[in-house]
Amino acid sequence: MDRRLQGLEEAFDGLDIEPSRDGGKRLLVDRGSVLSLLSALVDRGFDHLHMVSCVDWPEQKELELVYILSAYNLGGSFEEEHRDVVMVGCRVPRNRPVAVSAIRLFECAEPYEREIHELFGVRFEGHPRLTPLFLDRHYETPPFRKDFDTRQYVEDFFGRVPPVGDGDGERT
Amino acid sequence: MDRNQLIKWLKEPAKMGHKYSLHAVYFCTGCGIIEVPPSITARWDAERFGVTPAASPRQANLFLITGYVSLKTLKAIIRTYEQMPEPKYTVGFGSCPINGGMYWDSYNTIKHLDRYIPVDGWIAGCMPRPEAIFVAVTHLWTLIDKDMADGYRRYRRNYAAYRANQEMVLGELGWPPLFGGEGE
Repeated sequence: MDRRLQGLEEAFDGLDIEPSRDGGKRLLVDRGSVLSLLSALVDRGFDHLHMVSCVDWPEQKELELVYILSAYNLGGSFEEEHRDVVMVGCRVPRNRPVAVSAIRLFECAEPYEREIHELFGVRFEGHPRLTPLFLDRHYETPPFRKDFDTRQYVEDFFGRVPPVGDGDGERT
Repeated sequence: MDRNQLIKWLKEPAKMGHKYSLHAVYFCTGCGIIEVPPSITARWDAERFGVTPAASPRQANLFLITGYVSLKTLKAIIRTYEQMPEPKYTVGFGSCPINGGMYWDSYNTIKHLDRYIPVDGWIAGCMPRPEAIFVAVTHLWTLIDKDMADGYRRYRRNYAAYRANQEMVLGELGWPPLFGGEGE
């Protein structure tokens, strides 16, 4: 793992490498250089993107995009200590959530980015189709953000549907 | 055949036919569908009760809603329900169609199924065992006998209200109303 990440910290200015809880490494990077970091990691053997996820940090007014990468080629070993998994984190401001799409490097990022666009409202530059993936309707606040009040929403949206007569009303 | 039921058979043969050959739509919502394969296959064998899955809603008269109903699924449920020939019976399976269950505060899951389509019976639980389906079926027999499983008639009677509720959450439905107006 350390061998693979050697020299990365010098090559990227704002890069912060710290150990993660599961024994892997966590790479925090600026929004501007996330794509170049990802391609540098691909060159170093991290050729498999597990997933792209998003974390909402309402106090810091930021959304954190998380890319989980692993090295597919373990050198013939499947032991725990040889499993190289890195987590790349990059923060984007909440009020202007724009990031660069990673599709050029990993084609499988496409549905993840669509999902994040739909549920967190992050716009991905260079994504071919940011159309709705799961949801059928438009939400004022993207529903996975922390400031989306689900109970209030349920009360407002589903609470206004009246029971239909003929005795169905007693089961409300 | 049960000799005590001979009178019923002679008086209302169609109703007895409906009762003992419930064809359930192959339609799965949510997690409850996991209970249906063991119910219709050798372990519990729903055919003992005359319940058998039907490939198309146009050949079915029993609609099991087997779990939480998201807004997209609700649209499909309404379409399927409206395609079924009458008489048709709906049974809500699990706690989610009853009042939202564990999805009571979810932003995309409807809470009370009976506000959108009429429901004849509920099976409570999360998950109900396959036996509960058969308890529900035998209850449904009683209800059909007493003419109390009248969901499809309630749907005709209150169609305007049901349609208004459906459009309230789904927006424009994209197909014309099934019935002309209220009180048909």
